[in-house]
Amino acid sequence: MSFFSWAWDWITESANWHGSGSIPQQILAHLGYSFLPLLIAALIAVPAGVVIGHTGRGAVFVVNVANAWRAIPTLGLLILLAVFLGFSFLTWLLPLVVLAIPPILVNAYEGIAGVDPDVKDAAKGMGMTPWQQVTRVEVPIALPLILVGLRTGAIFVVATATIAAYIGLGGLGRFIIDGLASNQYGPVAGGALLVVLLAVVVLALFALVSRLVVPAGLRGQAKLGRTE
Amino acid sequence: MITFEEVTKEYPDGTVAVDALNLEVPAGKTVVLVGPSGCGKTTTLRMVNRLVEPTRGRILLDGQDIREQNPARLRRGIGYVIQQTGLFPHRTVEDNIATVPVLSGWARGKARDRARELIDLVGLDPALARRYPYQLSGGQQQRVGVARALAADPPVLLMDEPFSAVDPVVRASLQDELISLQNTLQKTVVLVTHDIEEAIKVGDLVALYRPHGTIAQFDTPERLLGDPVDDYVAGFVGFDRGIRRLSFFPSAGLELSPAPVLSADATVAKAQATGEPWILVADDSGPRGWIQATRLGDHPGGTSLGGLTAEGVGHTFRAGIDSLRAALDAAVLSPSGQAVAVDDEGRVVGVATFDELRAAIQAADAADTAGISGAGRAREAVPADNSKKRPQAATPESSGSESSGSESSGSGSSGTESEGSEPSGARP
Amino acid sequence: MMWSWIPQNWSQIWHLTWENLKLGVLPALYGLIISLPLGVVAARWRWIYPPVLTVVNVLYAIPSLALFIALIPAFGLTDTTVIIALTVFSLCIILPNVPPSVRQAATAMGYGTLRRLVTVELPLAIPVIIAGLRVSVVSNISLASLGQLIGVSSLGYLFIDGLQRDFPTEIYVGLFFVIVLALVCDLILVAIRRVLTPWQPRRQRRLERRLPLRRVTA
Repeated sequence: MSFFSWAWDWITESANWHGSGSIPQQILAHLGYSFLPLLIAALIAVPAGVVIGHTGRGAVFVVNVANAWRAIPTLGLLILLAVFLGFSFLTWLLPLVVLAIPPILVNAYEGIAGVDPDVKDAAKGMGMTPWQQVTRVEVPIALPLILVGLRTGAIFVVATATIAAYIGLGGLGRFIIDGLASNQYGPVAGGALLVVLLAVVVLALFALVSRLVVPAGLRGQAKLGRTE
Repeated sequence: MITFEEVTKEYPDGTVAVDALNLEVPAGKTVVLVGPSGCGKTTTLRMVNRLVEPTRGRILLDGQDIREQNPARLRRGIGYVIQQTGLFPHRTVEDNIATVPVLSGWARGKARDRARELIDLVGLDPALARRYPYQLSGGQQQRVGVARALAADPPVLLMDEPFSAVDPVVRASLQDELISLQNTLQKTVVLVTHDIEEAIKVGDLVALYRPHGTIAQFDTPERLLGDPVDDYVAGFVGFDRGIRRLSFFPSAGLELSPAPVLSADATVAKAQATGEPWILVADDSGPRGWIQATRLGDHPGGTSLGGLTAEGVGHTFRAGIDSLRAALDAAVLSPSGQAVAVDDEGRVVGVATFDELRAAIQAADAADTAGISGAGRAREAVPADNSKKRPQAATPESSGSESSGSESSGSGSSGTESEGSEPSGARP
Repeated sequence: MMWSWIPQNWSQIWHLTWENLKLGVLPALYGLIISLPLGVVAARWRWIYPPVLTVVNVLYAIPSLALFIALIPAFGLTDTTVIIALTVFSLCIILPNVPPSVRQAATAMGYGTLRRLVTVELPLAIPVIIAGLRVSVVSNISLASLGQLIGVSSLGYLFIDGLQRDFPTEIYVGLFFVIVLALVCDLILVAIRRVLTPWQPRRQRRLERRLPLRRVTA
């Protein structure tokens, strides 16, 4: 049997759609566990990235953060926190927020710092206050990259929330971890497929948002800076 | 009017971009700052709208020290055009132009109306209003940049190499637009360029910089060409300044002779009777061509001139309207060595030989040195078919003078800028 | 923190580190080896490139653990599964970063162009390619630890064992070695780049713009 047939059989098994710990429940839970950290991380990282990009101060910090972030193994971090904080709300929230910050921060920074210096000069020379320069010119132009950062963060969080099941979190990871523990490939495959679908939905959602939100004038030149 | 008093810009690493500058930009005039790379002209310009703060000295705008004003408010009252336009890519052309009015509190509808007025004023197709900058050509973008700077009708316009990034044909047309706009609007314009030709063409007054932040000569373009203060200026201005200077002398005083001009049905005999070495055949629509007198002998006396083949005329100049330079150029291109003068409708008025030209040049020179050259300075676009008339200009100041601020300002502090950091090196 | 545990279990630690290293480096190399010809193909048949990029973007979004799981029926609970999955991700990182000039030079036929490709275009492409390798290797090293969840041997074992035995020391050691391993590989790649491109300045800034920041885990 292939991965898909295992997954399909399990997903279409109606028993899995009822009772506690059912598929719809876990999907919802997973969404919740993903959305909250993303929101918090975005609220911290976007303004920080914008400020650093506009003033140029702290740029070195951003570069180093990006490099360091790649090397941290999430599983190890989650486990470490579990050992210290027990299996609590904070144990999964904290690492998810902290680890979601770098992609958002770096992309926001790159977006703002990458705005054409002549455009910035014109905005300043025409009499915009710093606030106006940032909100009316720099952020709108940086929007595509900021969205890429948020998208990366979102997918990352969805994926990591899956692993967090190992330290007791609910959500779609539950099926995977429990299935691995009990040697049942059905839920493992099914859970994995659902996670993938969720990630793809997030991708599509962001593509849609991007199309709606990014100013038309930028699409003509939006082919630059497509990180990831 | 803009006054620079002992303005100096010195960077922490010791570079002096601008050195004790004293300059007065009269209201309603176009002053061009020109010089080699790194001479401080752009730095000077950017000090006017406080994008760069002077290390010492002060700058007065209509008598008020610019440091007393909030920088953002100051800048909204000054139009700013840069080389790469800096148009906002995320906004349409009309929203770009409407930027400063909207910033100043206008309703968006009113601002857009104003934007459309300006689109018209700078010679753009109204259909472009809803387009985005990336859809426009370089010349069109630059016009939008100028329109954007003029939107809130500021009394002062700063332009930093505005036409350097476009090709020469577009550049010439943009320069002409600027001249014609100035004729209408009469803003106080400070324009930076590295192109001495542009400075001469466009400026009422030209400040020529030495390499390290001081001014060699601040004078009218004619004076710069005719009376350079030293070898540096003469070298910068270029080797054919004698001829270029002639653009500023109208051909009004040039003596024209109608003698060689005959109609097409005049006979060969009549042509030979004039004794002229060359005959110009002309009719009501203009000159038809030159015939060399030595060839007349090949034909019987009764042949009409219209039947003979004639040599081309080259180009003509408009009597009294075009400059002596146009007349000289016409003479040089003419096979007979005589310039053909026409009137507004193109009919031949007469011809001028090199002798007559020389006399006219000498007369103009003498008048100029005596300081009487105010009469209707003719400014021409190249080629000379369209001369730009300027309103009566004030008498040019004597060469090399810059209005000097007699009191140096008390506090030479650089005036803290509340926003952002300045570039760390001297800019040209 | 029980320091004595380290020397006592040194051989195990070393073994796991070595496994982790293999899982980090091999997929990146395979990804590189596949990317180059793939990039050339995409240059030859231009219309292929945009769909390929879209596929790459979507593949990259697949959570790693999910991809490991998906490959189990085909390759079993072995390190092959992990290596293949990580190779896919490495490909996603490196392929978009093969410079167009390399791809285009390779499509022109003839000995002269082959020579140019090898002596000019590839050397010029080295910094970008190595940047891609760095991101790839570092991500892989950290992701490999995830493979432990499906039983594939790596430093991740120390996390899981440490949790099960409630023994923080093991967890610290695991974290330390993963991070240090990633750092060392990164530095080695930087050194390789400096050796291969002596004409470049020592610090490369803004090079990693186009690279994905990290492989998402799980």
